[in-house]
Amino acid sequence: MELIAKERDRLLQRTARIYGLSFTVVSLICLTIPDAVDSLAYFICLPLYLVLGFSQFRLGSSRSLVWVLLVVGCGLAAIIVAVTVGTGPSQAGISAIAQLSAASIASTAIVLTTQPTRRVILAASLVATCTVTTVLLAPHQPAVRTIALLVLGWTMATIIGFWISASVPQAARRIASIGRAHRAERQASETEAQRRQGARLLHDTVLATLTLLAHSGVGVAPDALRQQSADDARLLRQLRLGATPTPQSSGTYNLEGVEETVLGTTLESVKQRFGRMGLEVSWHGTGQVLLPSDVLDAFLLALAECLENVRRHSGVTEAHVTITDDETTVRAMITDAGVGFTLDDVDSARLGFTESVVGRLKEVGGRARLFSSPGSGTTVVLEVPR
Amino acid sequence: MSHPEENTLGVIVGRPRRRESDATRRVIRAATPRRASLGTGFIGVGAAVVVGLRAIYGFVWFIGLWDTYPNPLPTLAAWAILIGVLVATFVFARVIGDQLPDWAFALFLTGLAGAIALDLYAIWPLHDIGRHATAAVTAGMALVVVVTLRRTADIVIAVCAVGVALLTAIIITTPLSEANLSSQITTLAFAVLPPIIAIVVVNGFRRLVQVELDRVLVQSTVSAPRFAVGMMASEELARLDLAAEELLDSVATGRARLPLDPKTASTAASLATELRLHLIEGRRETWLYHAITESDLLGKSVTLTDKGSLAGLLGPQQRDGLLSTAWLLLSDAVKGTATRTVQLAVGPAVASLESSDGRKIRIPIVITTTGVPRNRVDPATWEAIRKVGQYSDSTQNSSLRVDIQCLVDNPADQ
Repeated sequence: MELIAKERDRLLQRTARIYGLSFTVVSLICLTIPDAVDSLAYFICLPLYLVLGFSQFRLGSSRSLVWVLLVVGCGLAAIIVAVTVGTGPSQAGISAIAQLSAASIASTAIVLTTQPTRRVILAASLVATCTVTTVLLAPHQPAVRTIALLVLGWTMATIIGFWISASVPQAARRIASIGRAHRAERQASETEAQRRQGARLLHDTVLATLTLLAHSGVGVAPDALRQQSADDARLLRQLRLGATPTPQSSGTYNLEGVEETVLGTTLESVKQRFGRMGLEVSWHGTGQVLLPSDVLDAFLLALAECLENVRRHSGVTEAHVTITDDETTVRAMITDAGVGFTLDDVDSARLGFTESVVGRLKEVGGRARLFSSPGSGTTVVLEVPR
Repeated sequence: MSHPEENTLGVIVGRPRRRESDATRRVIRAATPRRASLGTGFIGVGAAVVVGLRAIYGFVWFIGLWDTYPNPLPTLAAWAILIGVLVATFVFARVIGDQLPDWAFALFLTGLAGAIALDLYAIWPLHDIGRHATAAVTAGMALVVVVTLRRTADIVIAVCAVGVALLTAIIITTPLSEANLSSQITTLAFAVLPPIIAIVVVNGFRRLVQVELDRVLVQSTVSAPRFAVGMMASEELARLDLAAEELLDSVATGRARLPLDPKTASTAASLATELRLHLIEGRRETWLYHAITESDLLGKSVTLTDKGSLAGLLGPQQRDGLLSTAWLLLSDAVKGTATRTVQLAVGPAVASLESSDGRKIRIPIVITTTGVPRNRVDPATWEAIRKVGQYSDSTQNSSLRVDIQCLVDNPADQ
């Protein structure tokens, strides 16, 4: 509210500036018409108009009351000079005075509506302007006419001021309600993103399939790939429709919202999936390990990535996975008898190893180690805490 | 990858800001089906009141001049048309929800033109438009009523037309002399200036609403978690999921033949890359980053350096203060914010010495600016900075520099 009050004041000031300056210019034009006022009066008025215009300009960017008082003071001084010095005003001079008093000086009313003290100044300015102008112009035109014009001008300026002041809080209330809606939307967006990002197992299998497709599906039986694609498309559709997919037959993953999942059943489906793609996986060791689901997710992803690397790079069609566990740790050892490589030669990032295996295990407090040398195969050890 | 320059994390390269603004626009549209009425409706009523006052004054003036007319009836008709058109337009616009369709605006303008023509016709023989025009002058001011309902260009064109019409009539009919010149000028000014002033006011008001909206929308980041996804992240993810689904589906149904052609394969590759980025990298940005990129005002002039994502540790109060500070420094500019910029540097963190139990860490925040003289800073800014932490201010390259020591809870203790 603090900030919008500042914005409101700024708007009022700008309004007062444009309002005041426009009519000051018009008034000056009228005053410049030959014989509008006595020429001595004209030359005295000129600097007064200059100060008046400058004050109105400053009024547009400053909250200070000094400029308001300067506008009123200079305006009234110009009126007094125009009427009293020399021969007095002609019709054109009276027009100039009318514009000065009823519009140019009245523009200050726009910024004088916001606080009680300012309103007092507003009333005082009105009374002063009214009195001075009416009395001075009394010999030249009927007082009723002068007063009517002044009241109209000042009333309009005051209404403009009040109305803008009143509409800003209204707009602020509307904006605040939009802000609340936006906050809700942000939270919803956050939740939705979490839901989608949380469906990590699903995305992992999708990513694996997409990676196969990125290599045009070369090296995989078309039927197997089609089957895999159909499974993943179905999972994505379920996710899109707002359901939390709970596939048993997706091949790889179990997305049931249970806290702990038995490792064995899902290992079997990983094996089947790689079987379809031409890599024979043999399991050894414990099949019935209970793991928290997020740990299991990371574990399975890392395992699948390692097997994918074996499939793509090792040159053999068989891999061995040994699962062991103790009090604190579940360990998987993936071995193949393939070509192997020198660790220093191969950029591990190129294998996606750092990102997809090490990074993912680290998130759940696990780690991965890689052993290989040319000609003697590769062994990867994955560890996650229980 | 088909579009390497296109990062779909809602950040960095290319066109991130535009997209966030799209989100903003969508929110606004959802929250206010009638966009025009975001406060300008009320302003419109005020404009009608002012025009009404002016009309009463003009009408009284006309009654006063009644005897001087050779035939006052056309002017009376002009007044009838003018009042009818004003009332009808005002009521119609309110009823259909603070808007004015093109045909209604055309009708309104026709009414005004008719009123001006009739009034000028009636006073033509008097050879002094300035002194006798009443309905014609009020018709010019009547445009104020529709300033909130139509685009600025429409109003400006209409105002110019009214001004030209009056000026032409004056030049043709009135033998100009020193005695009557001032009333011609006055008449012209009273017909043309009010709509122009109204345009400035309404545009100022719209700007105010825009800025406030921008601020309030960004303010919602204050309550965001330490790391958050931007407004568009979930939509981007949904888009990628859908694209992947379609691709997989086409493979499954055999529409895309295996082995895939290079183009589809590269689509699959880029989808995989984008998905991976979203899933792995999507949550590294802090609320402050999102606040700055989502805001039209801040996005243009604030640069953020926060290598350790430490801004995420700030509490809601401190975030509010930091955001307000940037806001006040930028929005205070007299003419636009083009020359003012703010650089925020957060961190690196140091263990705090001040707190005895060591549960707090101290994050230094350095705000450097360009184009913000020390003596031009709004007092409210210091209050906002104080909310963030202890500060000291200095001047660097003749612009303000603030060093803040921000104390936050140690995340390791939470």
